[in-house]
Amino acid sequence: MKNNTTDYDAIVIGSGISGGWAAKELTEKGLKVLVLERGKDIKHAQDYRGEHAPTWKFSFHGKPDREKNYEEYPIQSESYAFSEATQHFFNNDKKNPYVRNKDKPFNWMRADVVGGRSLIWGRQVYRFNEQDFKPNQQDKNGIDWPIEYKDLAPWYSHVEKFIGVSGQKENLPQLPDSEFLPPMKMFALEKTIKKRLASKAPEVTMTMGRCAILTEHHNGRAACHYCGPCHRGCSTGGYFSSQSSTLPAAKATGNLTIKADSVVEKLIYDKKSGKVSAVQVVDVHSKKRQQYSAKLFFMCASTVATTQILLNSKSDSFPNGIANSSGTLGHYLMDHPHGSAAVGFFLDDMDSYYFGNRPNGTYIPRFKNLDKNDKEKDFVRGYGYQGHVIRSDWRFSFNSKGFGASYKESLRKPGPWIWSLTGFAECLPQKSNKVFLDEKKLDSYGIPQVSIEFEWGNNEKALWKDAANNADRLMKAAGAVFNIKSKALKAVGGSGIHEMGTARMGSDPANSVLNKHNQAHDVANLFVTDGACMTSSSCVNPSLTYMALTARACDYAVQQLTAGHI
Amino acid sequence: MNRREFMQCAAVLISGASISSLGFTMNHEQHAFLASAPNYNKNPVNFFSALQRSAVSAISEAIIPATDTPGAIEAGVPAFIELMVAEWFNPQERANFMAGLDALMQQSQEQYQKSFNDITQSEQVTLLEKLEDDASDSIWYQRGNVMRDIVSDAPFICQIKELTTWGFFTSEVGGKQVLRSNPMPMRFDGDIPLKPEESTWISTYTVM
Repeated sequence: MKNNTTDYDAIVIGSGISGGWAAKELTEKGLKVLVLERGKDIKHAQDYRGEHAPTWKFSFHGKPDREKNYEEYPIQSESYAFSEATQHFFNNDKKNPYVRNKDKPFNWMRADVVGGRSLIWGRQVYRFNEQDFKPNQQDKNGIDWPIEYKDLAPWYSHVEKFIGVSGQKENLPQLPDSEFLPPMKMFALEKTIKKRLASKAPEVTMTMGRCAILTEHHNGRAACHYCGPCHRGCSTGGYFSSQSSTLPAAKATGNLTIKADSVVEKLIYDKKSGKVSAVQVVDVHSKKRQQYSAKLFFMCASTVATTQILLNSKSDSFPNGIANSSGTLGHYLMDHPHGSAAVGFFLDDMDSYYFGNRPNGTYIPRFKNLDKNDKEKDFVRGYGYQGHVIRSDWRFSFNSKGFGASYKESLRKPGPWIWSLTGFAECLPQKSNKVFLDEKKLDSYGIPQVSIEFEWGNNEKALWKDAANNADRLMKAAGAVFNIKSKALKAVGGSGIHEMGTARMGSDPANSVLNKHNQAHDVANLFVTDGACMTSSSCVNPSLTYMALTARACDYAVQQLTAGHI
Repeated sequence: MNRREFMQCAAVLISGASISSLGFTMNHEQHAFLASAPNYNKNPVNFFSALQRSAVSAISEAIIPATDTPGAIEAGVPAFIELMVAEWFNPQERANFMAGLDALMQQSQEQYQKSFNDITQSEQVTLLEKLEDDASDSIWYQRGNVMRDIVSDAPFICQIKELTTWGFFTSEVGGKQVLRSNPMPMRFDGDIPLKPEESTWISTYTVM
């Protein structure tokens, strides 16, 4: 590290959930770090322009701008988090094209801004369990992970203590507990349902959602004020984002430089040293190209973008993309099949109401294929449900008949309770689900566009069918007076916004890109720690695992650098 | 409450130390924030004729009248409808709306020999109920057909009912005086008694 021949000690590409963690860990270990972000700058608080806006301030009072969305945001506007209040976080699809295969479509949700999708993420955090690091080996779908749960457990703790995770301890092997702040409270209806499920569906556990939202002041951030829609940004840092947490910590070291509007075109490979020597960047405004050198390179641009850069980093040594001697780079793309599995109406607890807007639901962890005595015939692996409660209001009944005072009065008051179950299932890694470059189609910077082909396999469809059937059963057990059952899996790949894989970890350099430290087998100073590194997908929300893997990889990388091995 | 007031309120309510340690700033350009923008239904619009405007006004008030709480007119719903028809509807929806409005105004002349806004509210409701009766097989009325942007081929009566209800319950007057609003709850309690007369909270999630 004493050799100051490079511009920086480390360069982190991407400023989202993984990049923010890389920036924090590396700067805190004393490295001079450059974070490159292709999107525009977003200043914490100052640029949360949709925060706390009431409905009457919105164009069309919040009805979507159909024409503009169709023209400019056809993919991004599919996101639950997209609205006039958050649009400035999302990519304009027209200006940021990718090749979407009509027959094998993939919805790539993107927030190219400083902070990335950590600004708009769903904030649900669940640890992978022991079994989640072994399934590929057990059912022969894909390769084995090079790490086990116990390797990552201390890093989960390290991350959780910093970000702040509220949740309920359950002692479940299939859902290891985190380092918890107090859980959020349940609605009366949720307590009623939990009690009924305990007797009528004892194989499931219903727990409070585990989320990176503070239930008490934590590390200089204020407890949640329960205004509701987190993804508009939170000035008081109630939820974890790069903006509220990791980037300020990295800045505080004095070792951080962030450059926004800097599109990374490729990594420059130095054959002599066998390492990456620099990164080539295109300035969004001037379109000028420039290179920055460093000793370490961390790829945290998000799954697809990271792999796009690696594929585009060609050299004599790596004609098919850097660190791609195995030929697996770009393959084994995954996303969680997800969607509404069942929606039920309840007439219980009608005289109970609530105060505050809880930005979190409940969770029913995986309960299928948990051990050797419990093997499903139709599918391997499992799924979990996120539960949400809504007290119905005028939005659910404005299309009723009638006029005048009685119509107004009926719409003014609360209606029945609604409980919905959204399923998230594990996705198997398949070689044919892939990301590759379309050399004929260039973007406005002259960089080949990324092309994505994705299809659900039979296992995902079978998992979904079972998730829908069991959601229907749980609705009835919970006491729904009326419920709507899900039909076939409708979600297009990518819309779970849990895309992962394409530069997977593994023990064998012949069939994987990264080793057990997220270090490229082929290139010692290149690390990939975002979703691209994933070998299998579990069925739980993956961001916490990216953060833990990033922190762990940073620790290793700095040790190696200090020891002169890199 | 505009954004500046809101943030001051937030800063007072939340421990000051935790805010200032993050370099929390209050002196930025307030106008950039949606929360301090003018109310949407105060935007200028001049799409209807004077007669059409007064008919729309009367229809919205017949759908949601002033009672012991404000009705559609006080909540600015007529301007909301005019803005939505002019700016949000697509050409077919707009044409359908205008044809339906003209037909209703015509019907009032034929049946009562008066313009729509000159007949009594109960006569107005009689005409609206007839329209609703004629439209009753529209999928717009289907139970649960609510969580969508629009039913694009819905009849005029459904269009104006939806715009009126949306414009009303998402307005500042409707939200604060008919429903209940608390932009800064500071805590969550999922089990408190609901009194018989109490309204719902405004729908924070209506616009995410």
